[in-house]
Amino acid sequence: MGWRTRSRLTSWLLGTLTIGFLLYQWMPIATLSLLSFSGPTGGTTFPMNGVSLHWYRELWEASIMSDFKPPLLRSALLALACSVTTTILAVTAAQAMRGRFRGHNAFFYLLLLGIMAPGLLVGFGVALTARLLGIEPAWDGTAFLVHVSWTLPFGFMTMLAIFNRFDARIEEAALTLGATRWVAFRRITLPIVLPGVIGAALFGFSLSYDEFARSLFTTGSDVTLPLAVMAQLDRQLTPELYAIGTATTVTSFVAILACTASLALIRRSMRRG
Amino acid sequence: MSTIRARSPAAYWLALPAALWMIGAVVVPVLLILWVSFWGGRAFSPASPLTFDNYARFFGNRTYLALIGQTLLHAATLMAICGVLGYCIAYFLMVKLRNAPLRTALFLAFIIPFWTSALIRAIAWVPFLGVNGVINRALLALGITDAPVEIFLYSRTGISMAQVSLYTLMASGPVVYMLAQIAPALREAAMTLKAPPGVVFRRVIFPLTLPGVVIGQVLVFLNVMADFATVQTIGGNKIALLSNLILNFYEGAQLRAAAVVSVILMACMLIGVVAAMRVVDIRKLGG
Repeated sequence: MGWRTRSRLTSWLLGTLTIGFLLYQWMPIATLSLLSFSGPTGGTTFPMNGVSLHWYRELWEASIMSDFKPPLLRSALLALACSVTTTILAVTAAQAMRGRFRGHNAFFYLLLLGIMAPGLLVGFGVALTARLLGIEPAWDGTAFLVHVSWTLPFGFMTMLAIFNRFDARIEEAALTLGATRWVAFRRITLPIVLPGVIGAALFGFSLSYDEFARSLFTTGSDVTLPLAVMAQLDRQLTPELYAIGTATTVTSFVAILACTASLALIRRSMRRG
Repeated sequence: MSTIRARSPAAYWLALPAALWMIGAVVVPVLLILWVSFWGGRAFSPASPLTFDNYARFFGNRTYLALIGQTLLHAATLMAICGVLGYCIAYFLMVKLRNAPLRTALFLAFIIPFWTSALIRAIAWVPFLGVNGVINRALLALGITDAPVEIFLYSRTGISMAQVSLYTLMASGPVVYMLAQIAPALREAAMTLKAPPGVVFRRVIFPLTLPGVVIGQVLVFLNVMADFATVQTIGGNKIALLSNLILNFYEGAQLRAAAVVSVILMACMLIGVVAAMRVVDIRKLGG
């Protein structure tokens, strides 16, 4: 067998493996979505016993015990707050890194630590701290603090990557032409790195919205959506859970799409301008 | 010249909020866990005397010791499966696949689930794995088994199956990054010098992607070690790993015991990261 045949054979083998894995990865999500549309007598597995929006209606008209609307609202507000905070802090932190201040290496590792440190330990640690300080854990207090410590490093890395490819001569031109540093940053630098800023905002939103481990220890009695989902799973697995899972997944897809679309728009307007 | 002067005070002030946030929300709480794990006495207060009793109690229990071993074994299994799968997928997408639109489409199909909730993705495995689940129905329909197989739900097999789907991307991503950095001229040079493809891979491509492999292994290791949510979702209350023990102790109000397990988990992770750093220098990745 010549090496050409062998090379083609490996291609086919690896290709099959890749497609196989992608199917493997998507199958559960697809099944979940499909089962969420099962009929009123449908269970948590096949057969579906008809097709309906019954479980979505149940979700909407839920009783107080399993009402997902307040947790959903809290999760959305928390994610929004995290997104804004992450964006601002990530831009300032990445801009600071460009200043190569003393200790900027330690600063980089400090932020990297936020990605590496597992949510379980950070959440537990903050719960302990709050207990010792006599602070009551709450979704809009301790949970917010912990969520940003998770989303900020991702936004920061995104901004660093963007600034790495940034052509500083454009800034130089603006400064030479008499712009102050602040004006040059706002009118020249910021529009150019805008795709990174949007990326940081997306990370801030979606990582916070989906976070479970950190919230578990720091949220208190008014829970966020992932905690409500897990609590419902502990009580009983119902197709309602599939409905909410499908809805959340679709929300994530829409968020990604919106960001990709805005990135494309920016690129087009930049090419034109 | 740029919008920020090198070593200017402005850089410090810009870095300060993020630094304080990370210290307050990550560094101090984690150090506090370490401190609490040594607290003795009856009352839960900073005035407690420091002892090794909590650790002695933990290591005196054979069940817990076995659990550390099981957790490490589970992590090693996942690292092996995700590592091999992730490398194959990265290599196929970056090297073998020549069709650009198809490559983008497959990449997106590979990455997009990462942006959705890991919890929901874990829950999505439940209808698959049960006795009446999709896998069992398929096996029965195909006549491979006569009775439903019970090894999937509430078992380590089921947990691993879900975690493979969650974490293969983490093993793959860094390899993709390293493969993208290899200049095509390198491969051509090796081919011109009559190296067979197998040798080119073994002596040129693989060593160049090794840092990516190691980083991917670290990411899988860290995530699997700390992933109590998937274990809880699919294992129910029947399976527990080290990370679940922390939660169990916490919910049972045994904060010091939870702190001890946290420190042990942290130590395992640190040893793993340090060992990986000895193989590759993370800082070289950026350059």
